[in-house]
Amino acid sequence: MLSKAKELVGLLESGQQDAANQLLDQMRTERDVNLFSEIGKLTRQLHEALATFQLDNRITSFAAHDIPDARERLKYVIAMTEQAANRTMDGLEKVTPLVSQLTVQASDFHKKMDKLMRREMQPGEFRALCTDLLAHFDNTEKQLTDIQHNLSDVILAQDYQDLTGQVIRRVITLVQDVEGSLVELIKMFGNMTELTESKAAVIQPKTGVEGPVVDKTRQDVVHGQDDVDALLSSLGF
Amino acid sequence: MAYDKNMKILIVDDFSTMRRIIKNLLRDLGFTNTQEADDGATALPMLQVGNFDFLITDWNMPGMQGIDLLKAVRADANLASLPVLMVTAEAKREQIVEAAQSGVNGYIVKPFTAQTLEEKINKIFERVG
Repeated sequence: MLSKAKELVGLLESGQQDAANQLLDQMRTERDVNLFSEIGKLTRQLHEALATFQLDNRITSFAAHDIPDARERLKYVIAMTEQAANRTMDGLEKVTPLVSQLTVQASDFHKKMDKLMRREMQPGEFRALCTDLLAHFDNTEKQLTDIQHNLSDVILAQDYQDLTGQVIRRVITLVQDVEGSLVELIKMFGNMTELTESKAAVIQPKTGVEGPVVDKTRQDVVHGQDDVDALLSSLGF
Repeated sequence: MAYDKNMKILIVDDFSTMRRIIKNLLRDLGFTNTQEADDGATALPMLQVGNFDFLITDWNMPGMQGIDLLKAVRADANLASLPVLMVTAEAKREQIVEAAQSGVNGYIVKPFTAQTLEEKINKIFERVG
């Protein structure tokens, strides 16, 4: 800057007005370029700060509302499925003895009818059979209505599938949103290469209990009872 | 003790519906003398005083897990020979190996069928009996 100023003074002193003007323009342009680049930097920083602020807001909202809400929703899924399983078993446990009873009665009457057809039945026995049959039809009608009632209740108990399905779908959306925010965070403050590498890397086998395995391609787990039996027999079981 | 239908069975699972399913299946197989516990910590004292003949346990439970219950049973002189069947969703090969090495008598992976349960119980008591 100082050398340019000296050069300018020199040019003015020696009366080279055109060259002095040119130099002056050049100096001004340089300043403008620097200024623009500074403003550019500031603008970018401001933009990033605003974006971060938005992201902060979303993450805050995830932590404050969405994730606790998802937890409550998943608890609801556990409660609903438990209730449905119990309701189904309640219904079927009521039906099972009725069906067994009907089976016994049917085979009993079958035997008696065979006896009748073979003409081996005494008149007294026959009268008793008729009375029993009438009582049986009375009872059976009631029992079958009961069975029907319980079976429709079992069907109704399956409505949990729709309700829990909706809840789980919402939670999946939330998980996707959280994933998106995490990726943005990594883009802004972290290392995208690491993320890509991590995605491509083979997942290390997990230790400890983990419940049902969903990934059908995993090699470190059994897929069904046959695999268990094969493994145990290879161990000498 | 070859296959006594009156044998006393303890069913250990943290989900009451699963206990109920197992209890129902056992009843269909003729075993009606069953009791329930919801984790290892509850089950172990019951086993120690309850004179049980057979233990069916889940693995993944809050409190004391099934594998630790199995190890505790094997370490207890009075219970060491109690037949233990594991019914669990845990499916890692290393877990099955661990259960086998800890002295499990049978391993059923969930979801399972009534037939599998019957088969494994038969097999256990063929060998034990």
